[in-house]
Amino acid sequence: MSLEYTATPDRATFDLYVRGSVPPELAGALIVPTSRRSKDRAAYSRWHDSQTDLMRLDVTPGKPGRIRVHVLGVDSTAADLPARYRSGEHAVRAYGARTHRGYATQPNHGVNVAGQTLWATNLLFGAPVEVDVSRWEVRRVLAYLEPNELAPRLSATSHFAWSLDRRTAYFHESLLQCETPGDTVRAAELSIIEVDAASGAERIWRLRPPPEDADLAAANFHSTFYFEEGGRPHLGLLRTGALLEHLAPHSEPVDHAVCPMPASTIWVVALDPSREVLQAQLLPGIRELDALAISHLDIDASSRDGFVLFANFKHADVAEDTHGPNIYDERPEVIAEHYPGMTVEPLNIGLVIRYERRAGQTSVRRFQRAYDPDQASRGHSWLPINIDLEPAGRHLFCTFAGFRPRLLSRHIAAAYPERVIDPGQIRYVPPLLMRFDARTLEPDIDKGRGHLSYTEPIAMTVIGDARASYVCTFSPEFGLRIYEAGDLSHMICHAVSPQLMHWRDGHFRPEPAHIGFVPS
Amino acid sequence: MDNSDGPSVEGPAFAEKVREAEEATDLLQRHNWDFKASPKVYALQATCDVAAKEIILIHDGEIQTRIGRLVMLGAGTVFNLMGPESARSIFKDTGSHAFDEVNRQLGSRGLHDVPAFERFARAQEVTFYNHTAFYQLRDLVFWSILHGGGLFPSGFAKFAQEIASGKIIHNALFTPAIRSKDTARPVSMAATCLSVSFPTSVVEWMEKPIYGGMVTETIHIVNLLTPRPTTVSHPYLPLTGEGKVSLNHHPYYLRRFVGVSPKDGLRGPGVAPEGPQTKLE
Repeated sequence: MSLEYTATPDRATFDLYVRGSVPPELAGALIVPTSRRSKDRAAYSRWHDSQTDLMRLDVTPGKPGRIRVHVLGVDSTAADLPARYRSGEHAVRAYGARTHRGYATQPNHGVNVAGQTLWATNLLFGAPVEVDVSRWEVRRVLAYLEPNELAPRLSATSHFAWSLDRRTAYFHESLLQCETPGDTVRAAELSIIEVDAASGAERIWRLRPPPEDADLAAANFHSTFYFEEGGRPHLGLLRTGALLEHLAPHSEPVDHAVCPMPASTIWVVALDPSREVLQAQLLPGIRELDALAISHLDIDASSRDGFVLFANFKHADVAEDTHGPNIYDERPEVIAEHYPGMTVEPLNIGLVIRYERRAGQTSVRRFQRAYDPDQASRGHSWLPINIDLEPAGRHLFCTFAGFRPRLLSRHIAAAYPERVIDPGQIRYVPPLLMRFDARTLEPDIDKGRGHLSYTEPIAMTVIGDARASYVCTFSPEFGLRIYEAGDLSHMICHAVSPQLMHWRDGHFRPEPAHIGFVPS
Repeated sequence: MDNSDGPSVEGPAFAEKVREAEEATDLLQRHNWDFKASPKVYALQATCDVAAKEIILIHDGEIQTRIGRLVMLGAGTVFNLMGPESARSIFKDTGSHAFDEVNRQLGSRGLHDVPAFERFARAQEVTFYNHTAFYQLRDLVFWSILHGGGLFPSGFAKFAQEIASGKIIHNALFTPAIRSKDTARPVSMAATCLSVSFPTSVVEWMEKPIYGGMVTETIHIVNLLTPRPTTVSHPYLPLTGEGKVSLNHHPYYLRRFVGVSPKDGLRGPGVAPEGPQTKLE
């Protein structure tokens, strides 16, 4: 008799209950960075600064196969690492009274994998952490800048760029300067980091912003991409544009004035080993979209002369967190689904683009769609999160978090009167996983509704090869789901455990955004 | 859960309704289940919600048995309760013995211990009847059109996802003796107990119900009974007590979770439900 339910939540390894079968292509491990918070919804807890636990799901193919979870709690102060990785006294002061040990890393968002090395990242704050996947232990914190009295914290790219042979990773890192009266938090010492995944060799360049996009208050970059053009390597940086009013979490989660984000842009940099400082330029046609919070991407740069970039704009103020009355003037105490300090809801419909650049010519396709309950098979583009090109390159898979109107804070909406949805004209929009034609960026509509699945967790990855590929989604509450990529109405595996839903003194909120695959 | 009038005719007239429901189902399927193709599938109005649940969940390591006692709020004549369940589920109507026994040993009055429950406390008893199971989307849509209960697209999408994962949709009817047609003054109904058992090696909690237009939250009491000690916790309800109880001459370790959870799919106050080309005012 199996008595898995008797396992204690403190046990860091446990099996999921698997229904269905696990295909051979999934032999390996799935990595999920999570945020953990108190179950007490009255307690304010900014998710950016939450406790991070990394999950590794060891996947053994078969029918039903086996999926075993290993949980690794990450110490945000890096107290378990050599002293050089720990936060300095400046970071301790910047973080306020919530901890006396500072804040070095908070990898609750991005997954970047090379071989058996994982670099896990935060959405906005802190340096990446390097984890040995097979030993399942933290090796080091990738902090290349030294915080100081005026700039006590770090920001880094969540999703790294990779050279075409995937031997070299690139990301951005900068210091965050404290706010001053009348001015927001600003980036300083913008840098590009190059890491050789095999040898660990590193190079650092300083980065100079494009003259026409030089406001360092908005200079944060959620994702990067690599491409080659004219025989030279280049980097693209998605300039998200989050504007932070304060570096430290609120002492009181009340209404406050929100500085509206500027429209997002993409910076392009030619990588030149002979220089110490690289000059960025604006990628034409992106600012003109007038869209907010460009975040995630996938790219086909295999031609070695230009690229096809798929990217999404959340149209949400990603520098803020949930607190205060909502757009219906309801107090948070009466909104049972409200957790103060969580990820924000979007202001309006999000946007996905396909940007092609070849021989100096560019073309842009857009997908931006409201949710029409009458024609739900057409999908929607509310709060796009993951964007993943299947190995064969024919289809693009995207997840959309949807919209929960009662969780949009009044003070955030007030900062965007021209952009925000009319509260009386919008309902709940369900989360969505959808398959697109990668060439046209149109939904790859299938008569059996096999091109989409609603109420799907947002963490998603596509695994396989040109012959067969599978889509995996995951959340602690709904577990792991595996679909054939060609038919999203055909789930082939579902795996759950109550231990995913509760961990020590808290639970995993908000739900994880990303999941990564490490083949065995 | 929707207001359902049920087929009001029999004989050839009923056969005609069956044909009409079949045609509407075919039409919807041909149009990728887009409600625009056959707006008659829309529920006319959301008029019923589960307001409170008292659950006993017995897990022996191989089989999970969930005994539920629900309190619903509704305005209308006939209602149906739908929920996704394991395809290997065994459903049984059952008495309140398990709740009486557990609460007696705990010195509890069950849901009456929860102050927020007081407004639903004077509930009339209703019995579930005409249990059915839907194995594919066609079954669900056909039944909903035939019986006039209808669906909402977001709820349909949720059920579609559950069916894709290999679950069935269990459906049962209930009707109150004392009725209200005023959605502002719904009646409170306490259902007879229902038990469902299925094999699983892990505790599987119920998912949050979808908002039906009446109450935005569900009051819960969940009692987890296991033959060995466990520290498994509920995903969002706080642990309020632990102990040992005896049920049907078997000793169990008990963990009790009590609290309130939001429903899925909530909308703002005054915002109309999904409907055929609904214009929001």
